[in-house]
Amino acid sequence: METEILPNLEMRNQLIEAYIRYLGEHGQPPVTVTRFCKDNGFDEGSFFKEFGSFDALEAAFWGGLVSRVADAVKAGAEWNGFAARERYLAFLYAFVEHSLGNRSMLLLRLKGVSPFTRFPALRKMEARFKEFADMVVSHGVSTGEIADRGLLRSFYPDALYIHFRGVMQFNLQDDSEGYERTDEFVEKTVTFAFELIRSQAIDSAFDLGKFLFRGAVEGEA
Amino acid sequence: MTEQGQITSSRVGRIAALAGTGALMGINYLKHYGRRMVTGETGQEALHLSNAAAVYKTFSELKGGPLKLAQMLSIDKNVLPRAYSDQFAMAQHSVPPLSYPLVVKTFRREFGREPTELFDTFEQKAAHGASIGQVHRATRCGHLHAVKVQYPGVAKSLRSDLRVIKPLALQMFGLKENDFRDYFHEVEQKLLEETDYTLELKNAEMLVSASPGLDNIRFPSYYAGLSSAHILTMDWVDGLTLDKYVQTKPGQAERDRIGQALWDFYGHQVHTLRVFHADPHPGNFLVKNGLLWVLDFGCTKAIDDGFYRKQFRFLDPELLENQGALEKALEGFNVILSADTDAERREMVTICAQTLSVLAKPFHADEFDFGGAEFMNSMWKLGERNRDNPFLREVKGRRGSPDSVYVNRTYFGLYSLLSRLGAKVKTRGLTVCQNEPKHRI
Repeated sequence: METEILPNLEMRNQLIEAYIRYLGEHGQPPVTVTRFCKDNGFDEGSFFKEFGSFDALEAAFWGGLVSRVADAVKAGAEWNGFAARERYLAFLYAFVEHSLGNRSMLLLRLKGVSPFTRFPALRKMEARFKEFADMVVSHGVSTGEIADRGLLRSFYPDALYIHFRGVMQFNLQDDSEGYERTDEFVEKTVTFAFELIRSQAIDSAFDLGKFLFRGAVEGEA
Repeated sequence: MTEQGQITSSRVGRIAALAGTGALMGINYLKHYGRRMVTGETGQEALHLSNAAAVYKTFSELKGGPLKLAQMLSIDKNVLPRAYSDQFAMAQHSVPPLSYPLVVKTFRREFGREPTELFDTFEQKAAHGASIGQVHRATRCGHLHAVKVQYPGVAKSLRSDLRVIKPLALQMFGLKENDFRDYFHEVEQKLLEETDYTLELKNAEMLVSASPGLDNIRFPSYYAGLSSAHILTMDWVDGLTLDKYVQTKPGQAERDRIGQALWDFYGHQVHTLRVFHADPHPGNFLVKNGLLWVLDFGCTKAIDDGFYRKQFRFLDPELLENQGALEKALEGFNVILSADTDAERREMVTICAQTLSVLAKPFHADEFDFGGAEFMNSMWKLGERNRDNPFLREVKGRRGSPDSVYVNRTYFGLYSLLSRLGAKVKTRGLTVCQNEPKHRI
């Protein structure tokens, strides 16, 4: 009976597909799992075997999207020769291209939502993205492209995630031909971000912050 | 230099950069007048030099468009001081490159395939910049190609740059907006045309096929199947750009031969085809084994018969002898307007006669020596004089024809190329052709 505990990939995909279709048609999640399963000819038991809730199901969808894009760019012939900045750029361009097929979903979930807002349906996307970003940052640190700033380094994937959400946000508002403005936005912001984490600017800002903080503490004392 | 690192990012950023130039120029002028008050000397050249550096820096940060607009306006008014011109000549060679993933993305969008699928090899780093894109070296079936990839959003940013630059340029050159609307329109149209590589390919193929058998002139082949609106593939030509070629100190006979090839190529285009390559700057010509290769047909200009006759009527040496004939020609060309007073007419005829006596000089002899500083200096001096001329500064009305912008720019560019070359050229006197043009677009 052990096999039943393992995820049934085919069933998962069918459930996700039906759910995304429903969301696209109705603009909101189904009211209950029972109703959703009945309408789509699923057994309720097999739903809960795969997912604890609609949120969990949707999280799997978003996480899968990021994983598929990350796997695709990593499999590219030129991947090994790319610097960290190019790896991140390749991911973003591929994601924007891929996400066209799910644009209505993105619009439904993210239009007008601040990149800082977190909600359950996106948690796997965040996790998958940060795994990828961490790998990119490690590569950058190993080649000296990104300065290793100890504790601060662990913050980079978080910062890149906010940037990634910002790119999606920008893309959803972009009405230029072939989303050219998004390409420009990606190119310029990534260049800026990588210059920032390479240069001394962060160190100096940190140093200044410490100095001001110390001053404030000493002033109070 | 880091890729794209210095490009001003947003519209606000661009406006800020331009405003910065305005302020810098203002400060330089203050310094200039301050010095004159103290020392009594003008130091005009020093002023142009520091302003040119400031203007150039800002414009090059904004890439091709505004730079070309300012360049063209100044050429058309023939008011370009030497310092500006030198800085402008450098502009084409220094644009920061795009990242390779974006190049890949562009290929996927235009062809549905990656560069490495279309070519056997494709260099990730751009070999050099082009005014609105960059050039990659690639091979295919053992053949070396130059692949030009355009920056995304160039057309959009051109439009917004031009809107921003217009008031600044008007002020810089003391022009009135209403009088120059058609000129701006002409320049904007041409710049936008340059963003369509499909059109460039068409123009190149047309001009190349209509220019066979010109001595010492060569063209790269273009590849329609490997080109699109934002990607243009042609033969890679190894050679020295005209400015670098001059630095190798070639012998006089070879300079003359290259200069002659250039002159004949333009003569053929302007007078026979009436469609011409309108971007003669040193980076668009390569010299290899004593042959002149012509690159970059992004900016071509077609002129109609009526305009051609009126414009090139001014090359007729008789006009310098006969004031009445000159006045008539100027009226026909709308340089003199029917509302002008007699005094204004006389003033305009005098200024135009002086201008023509310099600008048309190469056409008035069988052979003309562009070597030595004398000819170009007389052009600069003329420009200074015209710019400081209170009559020209104050004169109102829409005069001349916007079609002249690119004709003037082309001849101005041609003259300065020939002067860089120091070539002696058989200009064969007046070559105005009264036949119908062979080709039309």
